Amino acid sequence: MRFRAKIVDLACLNHFSRVINTIAKLAKTCTLRLTVSKLYFILSDKVANGGVSMWCELCQGNFFDEFQMEGVAAEHNEIYLELVPENLSRALKTAQNAKAVKIKLTNKHCPCLRVAVELPSLSSSSRIVTHDIPVGVIPRRLWNDFREPSVPDFDVSIYLPVLKTMKSVVERMKNLSNSIVIEANLSGEMNLKIETDLVSVTTHFKDLGNPPWASEDGCQSSAQGRDLENMAEARIDIKKLQQLLAGQQVNPTKALCNIVSKRIVHFILLHEDVSLQYFVPALA
Amino acid sequence: CILHCFLFLLVFGRAIHAIARVSDEFWFDPVEKGLALRSVNSSRSAYAYVFFSSMFFQRYCWTAVSQPCQKEKQLSLPCKLIIKSILPVFRCVNVLERNVEKCSIYTNVNDHHITFQLLCKHGVVKTYNLTFQECDPLQAVFAKHMCPNILKVHSRLLADIMIHFPTSQEEVTLSVTPVKVCLKSYAEEDTGFSKTMLTEIQLNPDEFDYFQVGVDSEVTFCLKELRGLLAFSEATSVPVSIHFDISGKPIAFGIEDTVLEASFILATLSDVEKETASQQPPCVSQRQESNAEAAASKKPRWNGNAPNTESAKPTSPLAKQEIKSIPRVAKKGTTGVAGTAITEAEDRAVLEGEATESLSYFYKYCIFQFHSLFFGAVCYKEKDAISHTFHSLATPSDAEEDFGSGQSSQV
Repeated sequence: MRFRAKIVDLACLNHFSRVINTIAKLAKTCTLRLTVSKLYFILSDKVANGGVSMWCELCQGNFFDEFQMEGVAAEHNEIYLELVPENLSRALKTAQNAKAVKIKLTNKHCPCLRVAVELPSLSSSSRIVTHDIPVGVIPRRLWNDFREPSVPDFDVSIYLPVLKTMKSVVERMKNLSNSIVIEANLSGEMNLKIETDLVSVTTHFKDLGNPPWASEDGCQSSAQGRDLENMAEARIDIKKLQQLLAGQQVNPTKALCNIVSKRIVHFILLHEDVSLQYFVPALA
Repeated sequence: CILHCFLFLLVFGRAIHAIARVSDEFWFDPVEKGLALRSVNSSRSAYAYVFFSSMFFQRYCWTAVSQPCQKEKQLSLPCKLIIKSILPVFRCVNVLERNVEKCSIYTNVNDHHITFQLLCKHGVVKTYNLTFQECDPLQAVFAKHMCPNILKVHSRLLADIMIHFPTSQEEVTLSVTPVKVCLKSYAEEDTGFSKTMLTEIQLNPDEFDYFQVGVDSEVTFCLKELRGLLAFSEATSVPVSIHFDISGKPIAFGIEDTVLEASFILATLSDVEKETASQQPPCVSQRQESNAEAAASKKPRWNGNAPNTESAKPTSPLAKQEIKSIPRVAKKGTTGVAGTAITEAEDRAVLEGEATESLSYFYKYCIFQFHSLFFGAVCYKEKDAISHTFHSLATPSDAEEDFGSGQSSQV
């Protein structure tokens, strides 16, 4: 098992750092899956996470100048590592003006991702800062736990409002209630509602637009033939929504969510070279 | 004594904050030449000293009030303050600079008060009356000039380096060879599968303003207490000098310019874990021996003074020698007379030291020996780690246990 990669371009480095920062806000521990062409940050739905799951996919070519990987075996040319994304985020935080960043999988006392940042210095040789991030190697027999979740059979799919606006609304609502109801319909209308003993607050968004999903053998049939005004709703933990929104440092190219009434809300945030899916189950 | 001064708030405030990182209380010691602030942490593994010369202040008036008490004439009256009472005064140093036009400090020995008065904008005057407690002087003696390794670096560089370590990082290890400097986070070996991220920074000797490595060494010390000094040195923009030796011996971070001087002396982790089940002959003799031979190889200063090792008392040549070699840290604030008094204290204390040696606190860290008149010397298990070159000349306050009582601040 070998992995080494290098980033030399500052813009790529900043972009990569931003992705890591977003992941760090969403998960305390997650799985990093490395393949020849892609990196995935995966959080599988366990009770410990509150049932949320996350799937984030990046094309390595868009970030790394060098990328070499050898998986556990020839037929299974992949590596699955368990790590704390906050550590990676911290290691990259002070690499803002680095000459180069190298990431390597090592196993000195225990498996680590070694991040070596080469910084410019006043002297002839560069300053090198090395961070050893402990990781856990996930054995092949457990790889099935980390498969890409399928898009649920949703009732409504709708584009999200401007994330900044949505974030400030949700943040204020967070002070009042622990759960929030998201409801939306196929006419581009979405409401965010909270209700407590003392107060109920609803924020209405309209003209959001509904993304067209190509129907594959009619599996989206539940969405077709649906009354356009009919709201699908789900009550979810407001903190999870807030974490998702707070973690977004750059406006995504596309942001949408799929709602399965009373079951799950599936958020999809697409940037040019990164896609992030976040599944939040509905509260009972 | 009456002390009356106006001061550069930012720098003074940062000094207070730096000292606050070491301990909750500090010694406020105005002397003729200036104002000395000192503090030591509870485990005696960190000592902070900041001295503002009278020129630092816009106005500095110090009047000696001689008190006919005790055997020595105390011309200065050191006193102890709880730092928590003074921190609010200097809480937001940045804001302070903008709003406060003048700050003056008055002391009145008779009613045991120190008054900080801030004259702010718009005619607002804030007055803080803090009660202090008289106490014995606190001082550490550390022979910087005896350190084989000396680095001088601008505080900006140090800050740039420290930023790579998380704020929660407790301890770091500095390791030097003549061609390489490396600073890395330190984690206890016995954490098993270490879950913590370890950071290491490699620097080139070129980056230092002054670089002298006499002996390859690796010293581990507490970063937390140091951060205060770093912030302080950034405020003063005076370069920081680092004096150290091998592991187990203290490391001193200091800054110095014409109007102020600061030293933060931190204990370092000793490699030698082995316990002295064999409690050898008194600390004293061991010390002297190791000192004599160590000294002989380092500097000619100490030679010829091999004290009689078996005796229970330190020989007077030794004692005198110490006084002679008082490094600057100790010199300020002590009068000649006090010096003599200290010798006496030393004599007595060493006796006590031996008596209580069997108490042997097992300290992994050892910084310097406190000879206490009141509660026995603290002896360290690693005899090698004990360096003769630094003795504290004074006792910590006897009121360690009961200083809580009667110490109140009317803020």
